Amino acid sequence: MLGDLGTASLAVGLACATLTALLWLRVALFDASVRTARLGSTATLAAAAVACALLETALLRHDFSVRFVAENGGRHVPLYYTLTSLWSALDGSLLLWLLVLGGYAALLARRAYPPRLHAYAMVVVSVVMLFFFALSSFAANPFRPVSPVPADGPGPNPLLQQHPAMGVHPPLLYAGYLGLVVPFAFALAAPLAGRAGRGWARMARPWALVAWAALTGGIGLGAWWSYAVLGWGGYWAWDPVENASLLPWLTATAFLHTTLVRGRAAWHSALACASFLLVLLGTFLTRSGAVASVHAFTDSPLGPMLLGFVLLAVVVSTVLTGRRAPEPARTGRPRALSRPTLVLVNGVLLVTIAAVVLIGTILPLLSAPLDGTRVSVGPAYYQRTAVPLAVVVLLVLGATPAMRVRDRSAALRRLAVPAGAGLGTVALIGLLSRPGPAALTAFGAAAFVLTGLAGDLVHRLRRSGPRPGRLAGLVAHAGLALVAVGVAGSSAYGRDAERTLRVGETLRVGDVAVRLVGVDRTGGSGSMAVRARLVLTASGHAGPTITPALRYHPARDTAVTVPAIGTGLLHDTYVTLIAVSEDSGSATVRLAVNPLVGLLWAGGALTATGGLLAAARSARRPAARAGRPVPAPVAVGSGAAR
Amino acid sequence: MALVLVALAAAAGIGLARSASDHGRQDPVRAVAAGLRCPACQGESVADSRSPIAVAMRQVVADQLAQGQDRDEIRRWFVQRYGADVLTDPPARGVRLLLWGVPALALLAGGYAAVRTLRPRAGRARPAAPSMPDARGARRAWRVASVGVVALVVSVAVAADRLDPPARPVPADPVAVAVQLAHDLETQNRYDAAAQMYQEALRERPDDGVRLRLAFALLRAGDSTGAQRTAREVLAREPDSPDGLLVLGLAQRTTQAAEAATTLRRFLAVAPAHPAAAEIKRLLAAQPAPGGP
Repeated sequence: MLGDLGTASLAVGLACATLTALLWLRVALFDASVRTARLGSTATLAAAAVACALLETALLRHDFSVRFVAENGGRHVPLYYTLTSLWSALDGSLLLWLLVLGGYAALLARRAYPPRLHAYAMVVVSVVMLFFFALSSFAANPFRPVSPVPADGPGPNPLLQQHPAMGVHPPLLYAGYLGLVVPFAFALAAPLAGRAGRGWARMARPWALVAWAALTGGIGLGAWWSYAVLGWGGYWAWDPVENASLLPWLTATAFLHTTLVRGRAAWHSALACASFLLVLLGTFLTRSGAVASVHAFTDSPLGPMLLGFVLLAVVVSTVLTGRRAPEPARTGRPRALSRPTLVLVNGVLLVTIAAVVLIGTILPLLSAPLDGTRVSVGPAYYQRTAVPLAVVVLLVLGATPAMRVRDRSAALRRLAVPAGAGLGTVALIGLLSRPGPAALTAFGAAAFVLTGLAGDLVHRLRRSGPRPGRLAGLVAHAGLALVAVGVAGSSAYGRDAERTLRVGETLRVGDVAVRLVGVDRTGGSGSMAVRARLVLTASGHAGPTITPALRYHPARDTAVTVPAIGTGLLHDTYVTLIAVSEDSGSATVRLAVNPLVGLLWAGGALTATGGLLAAARSARRPAARAGRPVPAPVAVGSGAAR
Repeated sequence: MALVLVALAAAAGIGLARSASDHGRQDPVRAVAAGLRCPACQGESVADSRSPIAVAMRQVVADQLAQGQDRDEIRRWFVQRYGADVLTDPPARGVRLLLWGVPALALLAGGYAAVRTLRPRAGRARPAAPSMPDARGARRAWRVASVGVVALVVSVAVAADRLDPPARPVPADPVAVAVQLAHDLETQNRYDAAAQMYQEALRERPDDGVRLRLAFALLRAGDSTGAQRTAREVLAREPDSPDGLLVLGLAQRTTQAAEAATTLRRFLAVAPAHPAAAEIKRLLAAQPAPGGP
């Protein structure tokens, strides 16, 4: 019953999405009624919402006649993880994908923009929507019936039942991915809309900022989940799926920064298209089973269709945006040291990092048809390429605040203090410890950035008083510097030890130690668990008892390690239970001390907050922005930026 | 001011040099193992992985270090055995050149585009922006685009039908799986295990076809009593089952040769066209009938 309703809702959604695309096309071509088209967008959203609600209902009612519930539901699963299991597997997560996409489409439909630009942008969004609706109804329908109806299901993948972030991370990530459809749609609509298309980047900016903030948050939460659940002690493994989320983030970051400068239409459209095309590519990588990854969904037949759609989107966007719009004339030499120049340099560097990550991610797929080998690309490659580039990005970023001053020597003078702080940090840390060159330069770059930002903050407060809206960039950049410190610190100073302990024995790393007190075995309904009770001692003071566990899920026949993480201001203690002897008399335990990991989460949160601040500001004051004098010296004198 | 900066730069240089020079600070086994890829894992190095093969490889590294080999010799040893892919950062050759070529190209292209963007250029007269298409153009665009939209939906539907083996096959019938598995075991001459699988399947769902297969498997496994018992169960329901008679007769040959001949003659009478009939005839001819001259 629920299953039939669900299948029907998908069919209705597909019909609505097709109709909506056509309605918006009529608006663009024949000035047809906008109201009907808007209604279509709302109806499509409603169909997606109904489909999601029906699948959630089926999950909650343990209706195992629905295929998705039979495969991913289970009576033993707690309520929270039953709710989140909607997006714990491919077909259900496509529904969430549709809901988020439909939300963006309906919101975009209600805003006022130049009519033809708006209509063409809505056509693009609606076509993307109808493709995913078609995919969901024809190839990945979660509502297909199962017969015979099983009495119980295995529940979602145990790894996805371990951490509350599971409820937030995927929706946030999807909000980030799909928000990028708006700049993409505007970029494709602009050449079609002719004169109305000018200045589209400014209209797309608030959307891109919201998407970017969500994506930043989603990536950060993903790293946190990986750290807290996977039990290997790290947070980023340059795994294909992690890379797939980083790729659009890099190009979207470049897009946001180039839109600060007028008169770079070609950059705007290239970066906006690249961001969403990378989202689609990431969807292909994640959902086709093409790459092996901890986060990937299992093999599915969607691969060829997704790949086809990626290629179609690449061709369409190349054809549409390839015709370069003539740019206004420029006179006067640009200054090498100016904010627009540095922003452009960082844009190029970000695109280069994206190229590094992209080729590293897809080379394993390309190598088989190219030369018949199965090449694997590991973290070592990214450490030699992406990491140094990222440090350079940080350095360039650190130099920009000083460039507010028009006078070149004054700007250089303002750089002296941050440069001194950066060099001093490198000298001090380099003489006191040996973190390795990459981490050391990252520390120096972070000090350079943070000191520069602090100077800028003081300068701005003195000049114009506290105006929190204007601090968005500062907050985001400070967050990034903190992330850099966290990454460098945890990778350079992390230490660990692994040993089999008998009850009463102690494992020591630095001044942190754990003593094994006992081993408990418990059997639950859906899982069996072994817990080691350990007393944590930090610098001689006996601390709390911690209980890392090994959890076995019979329904999926998998064992999951549940690490015990003690979060501290300067370092985390990270204890994993690896094995337990038959008689429960001893346990193999890994103790790791991960310094500065906290900065990573704090920095990530700060960066996302910066994005939201900027979004709020740019959405609130579109008119004021449009009327502001052109900030780019390179465009000065053109007078025809609009 | 400048002096202070220079002094700091010098100190930073020393710090960097000190930090870069010292890589032997860490455990030497770990240092070598970190450069080797665990072949059984996803993207983990031998130093980090807990898989048995990584443990074994770490042991090899430790042994070779103890024998006085240096890092490069050990790496070469592994490359000879497992190929260049065993290294976490294999030399850039062949398709791996792309790893450096593509980013370099991106950097060059981006740099070129940036220079072009920044270079002052003469103002070009801006051509008139395309105006609203005329009515005929709009109608043509409408027809093409609407056909395109519908074609997209249809192509997904058709592709899903063609490409799509049901996303995950309906959970297979466990009995059928057991029988198939048993059959595979038989082809590998593992009759004991095959018989066990057949019994497993029979417990779930009694079926004379499977029972006969079990009887054959038992016979080949050397359990002729079990084979006889199973065959008789079938014959009790269906006295003229050719396969039942065949396996019973063959099983009896080890214990009661006389009855075997009778059973096999009955088999020939019931199913003269059975694939095994010729073989059985030869068998009976070679062995004089009991009670005969």
